Amino acid sequence: MARDALNRKMDRLLLLEEQGRLSGNPTNRTLRKIAANPLAIIGLVLFLILLLACMAAPLISTYGPNAIDLRNRLSPPSRAHLLGTDQIGRDIFSRILYGGRISIFVGLGSALGAALIGVSLGTYAGYRRGALDALVMKVSEIMMSFPQIILVSILVTIVGQSLWNLLLIFILTGWPSMYRMARSQMLSIREMEYIQALQAFGIGSFTISFKHMLVNAVGPIFVNITLSTAMFILQEAALSFLGLGVPLEQATWGNILNVAQDLNILRGAWWVWLPVGLVITLFVMAINFIGDGLRDAADPTQVG
Amino acid sequence: MISFIIRKFLLLIPLLLVISFLIFLGMELMPGDAVDFMIPPDALATISQAELDLLRSELGLDAPFLVRYGTWLVNLVQGDFGYSLQSGVAVSTLLANTLPATLELSLAALVLSTLFGSILGVVSALYKGRLSDNVLTVMGMIGVAIPQFLFGLIMIVVFVFKLGWFPVGGRLTVGNEAFLQRLDHLILPSVVLALSMTAGVMRYCRSSMLDSLNKEFIKTARSKGLPPWRVNLVHGLRVAMTPVAVLIGFRLPMLIGGSVVIEQVFQWPGVGQMFVSAVRSQNTPIVMMVAFFSVLIVLIASILVDIATALLDPRVKLS
Repeated sequence: MARDALNRKMDRLLLLEEQGRLSGNPTNRTLRKIAANPLAIIGLVLFLILLLACMAAPLISTYGPNAIDLRNRLSPPSRAHLLGTDQIGRDIFSRILYGGRISIFVGLGSALGAALIGVSLGTYAGYRRGALDALVMKVSEIMMSFPQIILVSILVTIVGQSLWNLLLIFILTGWPSMYRMARSQMLSIREMEYIQALQAFGIGSFTISFKHMLVNAVGPIFVNITLSTAMFILQEAALSFLGLGVPLEQATWGNILNVAQDLNILRGAWWVWLPVGLVITLFVMAINFIGDGLRDAADPTQVG
Repeated sequence: MISFIIRKFLLLIPLLLVISFLIFLGMELMPGDAVDFMIPPDALATISQAELDLLRSELGLDAPFLVRYGTWLVNLVQGDFGYSLQSGVAVSTLLANTLPATLELSLAALVLSTLFGSILGVVSALYKGRLSDNVLTVMGMIGVAIPQFLFGLIMIVVFVFKLGWFPVGGRLTVGNEAFLQRLDHLILPSVVLALSMTAGVMRYCRSSMLDSLNKEFIKTARSKGLPPWRVNLVHGLRVAMTPVAVLIGFRLPMLIGGSVVIEQVFQWPGVGQMFVSAVRSQNTPIVMMVAFFSVLIVLIASILVDIATALLDPRVKLS
């Protein structure tokens, strides 16, 4: 059955090729495969809506994220305050929007930073092997033997709590897994024949690894970046909930949820914690959908 | 086999030395030393610098870095883990007080999540593409996206506030209360922790079971005329369980690290809660000892995984 489908697809491709309508560009194929995946599209749309809403926070909401209104404490959702107010009268809706900016920034920034370090090291060391590879591998092994939340907490104790420190800590704890992923990609790519050809031309290892090998590992790297973004957003929320994340003065998704530790708010004021919790869940789900879609699209063994 | 295990454990020693060194370095980097914390701030003004220096040299704090590390390491091996900077209680005592609570919670969650996850994963695989599979898949997607503590909070609101089935939180000490009353406090946190760990096991188990159902020997078993349940649950499941067993091994470290957030949500007096409050108050010895033991568990668990894979899968060679 699978073979029939494959045959039909090949016939169709041949036909297109004869008509000269098939472009040789492989990115088109990946894009088409993503576009055919409904979950990935839902994820992308949801992601863009939430991202744009947070970026356009000053245009959408009329309240500042830290504007205190003591006469309007813990008021339920109304026309004036779409999602009500918290215990010191700050508008929850605008706090979610402004908080999203920081949470998304921390998530994306950490994932990109970790990828920058992990992938560059992994690309070069994975190609060259030898002492550098062994050393970095050992370091990543040591770092990965700490449970993530415990390692992050230790580093928070050492460097102190702040937005930039948190970003730094996430990058510091996140690169080992990126390194391993990039390295394993490189290990399989370096066995390919075109690498031998490049070496025979006497091209330097820096050029070979970064210019000629990295392009072939871009798929898994992007998948990893999306999934890490989701993970870091969840981690920021958990740390802020524990009171160890971004300082409480700054609105982030995790910091808004922090007040739910108060049982009275938990019992009586659902609008303070439930909407922001749902936003986090939706956002993380959206990123996971995109990541899964990318993974399927980048996988040539799947017919798409 | 035995030489393999011994070698693995011997290889652990240099790694532990490096990690203990890093942990000691971390403690040194944090502000303040034992003397600063031993003397209450109001008394500090009345004590001269010379007296402080004397105290420091008596405690060995002015020795070179490596000497202090050596002393600390010897103490560690002898079971002296240092003292809490705030209460002065031995860290070993604090660990002994909190560890049972954490193990009780996370063992229950580990067992439950393994049970739920593998049953649901198998069901999902057997009914692939049908309604029950789709429902479980969607639940799994939500399960990996929802913050663990948010799930806990929702459960508290539903089962404690709305339905009133369970007490709010905390844990009753052994011996003071009847078993059933203690169970009352344990059920909600452990189920929440278990469910939040289930999604991963379920997804993994589903794909592993699908893999195994596609193998040739399943066709053979079917063509022999075996009843479907026997083919699926005896022949298929057995092969599917090997990677799942490995996953469970990798989850053993969660015994300490995995319950930190849930302990906070349910005010469960375990290692996790102690750890969080120690981090907040920069109580270094506690932070570092919890870290050290959690790393120890991770490393031991990874050795156990190696051994289990070798036992379950005859193709794996120990080397």
